[in-house]
Amino acid sequence: MAVYEHTYKPYAGKLTPEWSRFLIIPRHAYKDIFRSKLFTGFFALCFVGPLIFAIMIYLHHNINALLMLELRVRDLVPINAEFFQIFISIQGGLGFLLTVIIGPTLISRDLANNGLPLYLCRPFSRAEYVIGKMSVLMILISSITWVPGLLLFLFQSYLEGAGWFGNNLRIAVAIFLLSWVWIIILALLSVTISAWVKWRMAASAALFGLFMITNAMGIIINELFRTWIGSIISLSILMQTISDGLFGLRDSFDMDLNEYMIAPVWSAWMAFGLICALCLFLLTRKVRAYEVVR
Amino acid sequence: MSSSADAQFVEHASDKLPWSLWMRQIAAILRLEVKKNFLGRRAILIYLLALAPVLLMAAMAATAGGEISRHSGLAIIIFANIFEGFILRTVVFFGCAWIFMNLFRGEVVDKSLHYYFLAPVRREVLVTGKYLSGLLTSIFLFAGSTVGALFFFYLALGQSANSNYTFNGLGLGHSVSYISITVLACVGYGAVFLVVGLFFRNPMIPAIIIYGWEFINFLLPPVLKKISIIHYLRSLSPVPIPEGPYALIAEPTPAWLSVPGLLILTSLVIVIASLQIRRMEIKYGGE
Amino acid sequence: MSESSEQKIVFEGVSKFYGEILGVNKVNLLVAPGITSLVGPNGSGKTTLMNLMTGLIRPTRGRISILGTRPDQPEKLFRKVGYCSQYDSFPKGLTGFELVRSMLAVHGFHRKEAEPLTWKAIERVGLTDAAHRKVAAYSKGMRQRIRLAQAIAHRPSVMILDEPLNGLDPVARAETMRLFRQLAEEGLHLIVSSHILHEVDTMSDRVILLNNGYVVAEGEIHGVRNEMEEHPMQILIRCDRPSTLASRVFEQDSVVEAKLHKDRRGLFVKTRDADSFYLLLNRIVTEGHINVESVAPVDDDLNAVYQYLIGSRGEDQ
Repeated sequence: MAVYEHTYKPYAGKLTPEWSRFLIIPRHAYKDIFRSKLFTGFFALCFVGPLIFAIMIYLHHNINALLMLELRVRDLVPINAEFFQIFISIQGGLGFLLTVIIGPTLISRDLANNGLPLYLCRPFSRAEYVIGKMSVLMILISSITWVPGLLLFLFQSYLEGAGWFGNNLRIAVAIFLLSWVWIIILALLSVTISAWVKWRMAASAALFGLFMITNAMGIIINELFRTWIGSIISLSILMQTISDGLFGLRDSFDMDLNEYMIAPVWSAWMAFGLICALCLFLLTRKVRAYEVVR
Repeated sequence: MSSSADAQFVEHASDKLPWSLWMRQIAAILRLEVKKNFLGRRAILIYLLALAPVLLMAAMAATAGGEISRHSGLAIIIFANIFEGFILRTVVFFGCAWIFMNLFRGEVVDKSLHYYFLAPVRREVLVTGKYLSGLLTSIFLFAGSTVGALFFFYLALGQSANSNYTFNGLGLGHSVSYISITVLACVGYGAVFLVVGLFFRNPMIPAIIIYGWEFINFLLPPVLKKISIIHYLRSLSPVPIPEGPYALIAEPTPAWLSVPGLLILTSLVIVIASLQIRRMEIKYGGE
Repeated sequence: MSESSEQKIVFEGVSKFYGEILGVNKVNLLVAPGITSLVGPNGSGKTTLMNLMTGLIRPTRGRISILGTRPDQPEKLFRKVGYCSQYDSFPKGLTGFELVRSMLAVHGFHRKEAEPLTWKAIERVGLTDAAHRKVAAYSKGMRQRIRLAQAIAHRPSVMILDEPLNGLDPVARAETMRLFRQLAEEGLHLIVSSHILHEVDTMSDRVILLNNGYVVAEGEIHGVRNEMEEHPMQILIRCDRPSTLASRVFEQDSVVEAKLHKDRRGLFVKTRDADSFYLLLNRIVTEGHINVESVAPVDDDLNAVYQYLIGSRGEDQ
């Protein structure tokens, strides 16, 4: 009878805590993403907006600066809900472009190179994998939306006084929630497309086309059928409707929407929920350690 | 190994250009590519895109046919808007981007471009064959889509208004114009996206820039307007569409200038593509 | 260009850099008809050399000519050249037959010419039964063979084959090697890259050894071996009196070592000049004191050449 000497010993050391294990994905993704000078430049450009908005807030409260620039307070954009809504919309738009550039490669690369089993054969669940991939975008978009948005809000509160903070708390909540609606929809859509379309270019095109095509379709459906259904088909009008609801505004962007085209806010939230559910369903179908090759 | 097959290629020996060989090669490339364009899995998106305007117009004919027939004048303007805003700027633009950027970049991703590069085909012949296959596919699908949309538009107009508009009015001329504009759009956008697919590893960023350029065309000064496809296509539109209060107005280019202009631009772009492909190397890694 | 170089594959000072990474450097070659094998470890530049020959990549420096044609003239080059690349990918949705026929059509062949040529090529690689099955459903070996069929279908004069035996079972390997030999006898140039040294050894007329992008040796295998003076040739002589033989072989200066075989019925001799050693051995045998059963070089094959030239350096890396 053969006797084998057991020299092999499995790893018995400490592991990183389970809750934070998904962070390994963004950590490595950022190394890769920021290697591109073009992307790094674009990301830096995303902070020009917050800077300009901060200067505008500052000017509102600095008479000397206004005098130097020969401006009056009424010449400046008022600091109100619309001001912050415009800020989040601009930053959300930049977040969209950022997603078009980096989002499509997130899962497609793993699928194309059969990398998924390498993740999933470790103590790393499918949910952790998807959250890890989404967090790449979540962290980046957060850093250009609600984080500077709330800082601007606090800056304005500091300059205006505590009363302003209390009276306008809804704006802070709206900044935070709207940013997260943007983040969730962008991250979910791009991760889902990335999981279903292996080719990076096709995935980028699908994400970009999804916004543009649904926008054109939505407007035409509204025009043709004199309805608001098109407003929830168009992702950009849908986001605007949610934004108006959160900030307590109505057709704030003056898109010349006729009365019949303005979708009720509940319908926009419902459509948002449906999109998220559909994305999650598609993700559970595709993110698996094996693939059926036809 | 004997070279009996060489007999077919004796035309190489003569000074004349081997046109018949090139035609045969283009036909062979067309057969392969058209099959791929229509039957490949990537074609599904194009079918959906081409079907969208037809379905929209069909739904309109089914639900709002009566109203349309009562206000046929307004309906004609609505169709013109749908044609420019949806069919031309969205369906044909994105469809052509997909089809033509796939011609070379798709093959690099599939790692199958070397089969063409290992055949005794002039690279210019390969570009021409591939471009024609994309053109055939896009014209079939998107001109078909325009025809389908027009069909349901006429259906919604109702029989009497319909025959009046078509045969006694401008309807027939308008329809021919819309179909011709679609064909020209495929020719122009096709050439642009073919070259984008050849030059860039990730052609999406230039495609987005082109989309932005075409989108803000109404804001551009007249000289810059002319460096775009949509300017020439708009000039040919049978029903002029206002560009909004912020637009910088430029004289539309007459058809006798815009059609050859577009064709010249296309030829130029194809020449650039041919020059580029002669320098192209096969490097599949990293795609 | 001279008439002889019109019949050969010529590399003149060819270098290829991928950015800062070296592909091949300062390659000078003159390849005549027959089977020439490219041998070297992974990343030594075999595929780069083949891709350079076929114009899939362009040299950074130097000049290449394939039977008098430059690789940047595909319309002329691929009338003469067939390349079976290592890329295991195919145009989508085609059967094996359709793949070969379509590519012949792209060459410009009429349908009536293309069909018999397609069948002939498919027959040569033994895929007739599977010709109408989708390539996507082929096994690895079948995919390898259909690539080979596609490369030979237009009857080229030069065939470039990148790892053509990969994925083939032993029977198919033997048949494919037989096919190569047959093609070489018909006067074709066959450039084959392979990792399997004993197969290269049996089928090649010449070898080109590559390491780190440089050609380290080229020529007929035994010729290459003879020129490696820093590695004396080892010969095993089976005989009845090996000790006596050992005392005699040192009459020659070129003999550097003599060692008895474990069974004491043979002698290993290391010599720097194999030819003069064989003459000495003849003399000793004719003297009649020693009965020699057999004489065989121990390290006169590609394996040994590879080990001496590349093996040790490979280990260093």
